[in-house]
Amino acid sequence: MPAFAQSIGLPPQNSAAVALLVERLRVEFPVLRGKPKVAIRDLDISIRPGEILGLVGESGAGKTTLARAILNLPPAPGRITAGVVQFDGVDLLRLSEGELQRIRGRDISMVVPNPRGELNPLVPVGVQLASIAQVHLDKDRHSARAMALEMLQAVQIPDPERRMRAYPHELSGGMAQRVVIAIALMCSPRFIISDDATSGLDVTVQAQILELLRHLVRKQSSAMLFITRDIGITAHFCDRVAVIYRGEIMEIAPRESFFLAPRHPYTMLLLAAFLHNPQLRRAWTPPDASVRANVDTEIGCAYTDRCPRARKICQTTKPLLAERISGHFVRCHFPLERE
Amino acid sequence: MPKILDFLKLVVRIAQVRPRFLLGYAIVLVAILAGLMAPLFSAYSPVTADSSHFLQAPSRAHWFGTDAVGMDIFTRTIYAPRIDLTIAVTGTLLSALVGSFIGAFVGYFSAGRGVRVHLSYAVMRAADVLQAFPVFVFAIALVASFGQSIETVVLAIAFVNAPIYLRLMRAQVMAIREMRYVEASLVAGLSDFKTILRHIIPNAMTPVLAQLSINVGWAILLTAGLSFVGAGVRAPTPEWGSMIAMGFQNMVTGQWWPSVFPGLALAVTVFGFSLVGLSIEVFADPIKRRALVRDLEIARRRAPPAAMSGPEGVLTAGEAP
Amino acid sequence: MRIILYIGRRLLFIVPQLLGIVLVSFLLVKSIPGDPAVLMLGPTATPDAIASLHRKLGLDHSLPVQFWIYLKNLAHGDLGTSWQTTRPVLEDLIQRFPATLELVSLGLLLAVLIGVPLGLASAFNERGWLAGIANFYGLGAGSLPDFWLALVLIFIFYTTLQWVPAPLGRIDLTIVPPPPVTGVLTVDALLAGDWQAFRSAAGHLVLPALTLGLINAGPILKMTQSSMEKMLQSDFSRYEVLCGMPRRLVVRHALRNALPSVVTIISVLYGFLIGGAVLVEIVFSWGGAGQYAVQGVLNSDFYPVLGFVLFSAIFSLFVYLVVDLIYFAIDPRISH
Repeated sequence: MPAFAQSIGLPPQNSAAVALLVERLRVEFPVLRGKPKVAIRDLDISIRPGEILGLVGESGAGKTTLARAILNLPPAPGRITAGVVQFDGVDLLRLSEGELQRIRGRDISMVVPNPRGELNPLVPVGVQLASIAQVHLDKDRHSARAMALEMLQAVQIPDPERRMRAYPHELSGGMAQRVVIAIALMCSPRFIISDDATSGLDVTVQAQILELLRHLVRKQSSAMLFITRDIGITAHFCDRVAVIYRGEIMEIAPRESFFLAPRHPYTMLLLAAFLHNPQLRRAWTPPDASVRANVDTEIGCAYTDRCPRARKICQTTKPLLAERISGHFVRCHFPLERE
Repeated sequence: MPKILDFLKLVVRIAQVRPRFLLGYAIVLVAILAGLMAPLFSAYSPVTADSSHFLQAPSRAHWFGTDAVGMDIFTRTIYAPRIDLTIAVTGTLLSALVGSFIGAFVGYFSAGRGVRVHLSYAVMRAADVLQAFPVFVFAIALVASFGQSIETVVLAIAFVNAPIYLRLMRAQVMAIREMRYVEASLVAGLSDFKTILRHIIPNAMTPVLAQLSINVGWAILLTAGLSFVGAGVRAPTPEWGSMIAMGFQNMVTGQWWPSVFPGLALAVTVFGFSLVGLSIEVFADPIKRRALVRDLEIARRRAPPAAMSGPEGVLTAGEAP
Repeated sequence: MRIILYIGRRLLFIVPQLLGIVLVSFLLVKSIPGDPAVLMLGPTATPDAIASLHRKLGLDHSLPVQFWIYLKNLAHGDLGTSWQTTRPVLEDLIQRFPATLELVSLGLLLAVLIGVPLGLASAFNERGWLAGIANFYGLGAGSLPDFWLALVLIFIFYTTLQWVPAPLGRIDLTIVPPPPVTGVLTVDALLAGDWQAFRSAAGHLVLPALTLGLINAGPILKMTQSSMEKMLQSDFSRYEVLCGMPRRLVVRHALRNALPSVVTIISVLYGFLIGGAVLVEIVFSWGGAGQYAVQGVLNSDFYPVLGFVLFSAIFSLFVYLVVDLIYFAIDPRISH
């Protein structure tokens, strides 16, 4: 029984009801001079079937690195140096490349950002879709094509027959995004990672695509890790929300608890920025940011140098991700207290 | 001081995962030193014929043998970098200087409006014309029309290579020009000219530097080729190409040494310069840079426990009493 | 339809470009010191004889007029006359160009056969021993002077092993060459069904073609390797891996994307080698177009040089045009 699942209060007999479990995951990037930079630091996360977990953080916080590390494909030259990614009772980090190949795209799939650069420019969209079905579902060419067409219809691409023959550069951004979603949903995966899938889309298209994703997740009872920079989306789209900062989870809580009673200073700052509330934002920004020394994030709290509540202990002792009320975890020595 | 030490440690670590870079610098250094200190290594004169000892096979007296008129081939081979490297380096520097300077302005102005755009367009088409020429025939014709001398060979090299730098710099500048800091510099009131000099050229230099080293190799080949057909440096001046030409007939009749040794020296030197170019390319090409960082990390992990204490480990392990 | 428009536009651009090339080479060649009239008549010629020859050759006109006359003749297919061979340059070139083309084409074919497989093999497994050899070869081949490698090959395969005929020309002197149809000796011999001539011509072709092949495989190898590596690390390859596509499919798709750069380097080499194989031609007394031009430069024989520059420029431009058409076929983005 994984320690983290226990700690978040899942009853032991329910361990089968965890879709994906990440434990003590650590990803490091070697640099030309000096110690490797830690992009993901001893990170724990679990997601239940049918659940959508939102992951919010600023750029560079490690969101994409986490997403790719779950598939055991950290962005080059990053390396996974410790941890467990448990899916279906097996640790993905210990599988061979061949075994991973059968899981990627079939059981776990990913919706990538900037999809026009991610689709092979010389292969028609329909062929790329169909080859997923051919590889993972053993379909012959004809039925794979039929499936691809069906998928394009499911993501509501107009004139799907024609789009099948189109090359990626002939698609608009929104259309390419739908194609990538179609590819991700092709094999009815049990776990979907959506990495910034809706940024850069028109608001109307964004709403459509979110609705589509939610519908498909619910229908197939899949789990989803929904990565975004936009904390607003998570408020009505996700079941739980996690905040990541410099490769560490700072706060994770059920949606209601997260938005009604946020506890971490960084979360407060994010919400203030989202609400365009300058007063609140000032309250959660330290008055003399430049004075503070760089904190060794290995031993201290990663947020110390930006935190208005920081004290001596924050520099010397890393706070634990501790449960404040049922299911609401905060990594802070001095969280906001609420009753 | 610690900064220099840090840098040296990094150099040692890179040399361990990319020994070929080290080889490149070593070759270039040896070629330069051989040219500079040739008289120390040989008692013979590079240009005096000794008709009583012609076409002698390599021996203890003549390490590389003697040629058809009795000159010592080893001596001539180590004297040759004086001519070959001087011509190649000067020619290449000249072409890089002129080519990249023009290229920077062409690139900077080709996105604007007015006369400058038309001018930069015209320059590009002129470069097209120059590059459409068969390089070698063009170089020979240049040498023929300006008179056969070392300066002309330098000029021919500069002329032939300048369009390469022009294009390279233009492409770089067109990319950099879109960056914020260039806009900032213009908004801050710097003139176009100063913006190019201060902000654009320094940021576009790395690929030019990598090309520079590779081009020195090509320039040596071109110099030797010109001399080989008799349009470059004339015998008896020690020069690899003309030495190979002198041994041409002997090679067919079975005396291999007059041509083989200078050719080997030439090939190894050019090889050295391309290796050096490769080492500079690492800093211009993110893919190669990433591969290097990855290999450094792998090497660090493989190092014995004594050297595991971080990047300094490599040196401290060696310094232990 | 789009393609035809595109070709039309390209051809339209070629005309001023060719004019520029002719102008520059005309000025360059005219500035070569040395008076062809003096060279033709020898040192004993009287000033009168030289002056009348000048008039006959049109050398008494000013430079712009001479250029105008040259252009007018060019329009009629007259490339001038070589005083060395005393034949029209056009005839000389038509005879020699196929020789160069035969050598260069075969050399390049060898280079592709060596370079592309090695480059691919090393890109697939960048830590294997084959990659080590390929890395070394890619760098080393470009460092070798072709004229020297030619001599070394002659020493090994002719002088020592006697496997190939003497490096003198394209066919044994004792063998009657086949009647010229294409000008390419091996092809003509086959057309005439003359096996003896074919064997001799092919034997003479081996070493020079091998020289060019061995050296030019270097840049092809490096380009194949680096563009393949780049494509395998690109976003779309990474995405395919992310989708669980098998390795061979990812590689095949990457290869398709790497193809344009490989085709480009091959075409650039093709254009370059027409003039760039001169030194190899000289070593093997090949009697090709490049050698003809070099002799022209060294002997103040203007028209062969101009004719050669023109021929090779047209050839390069033609190759580039064909390459662009190949791009049309392999990359759907270009026709956009």
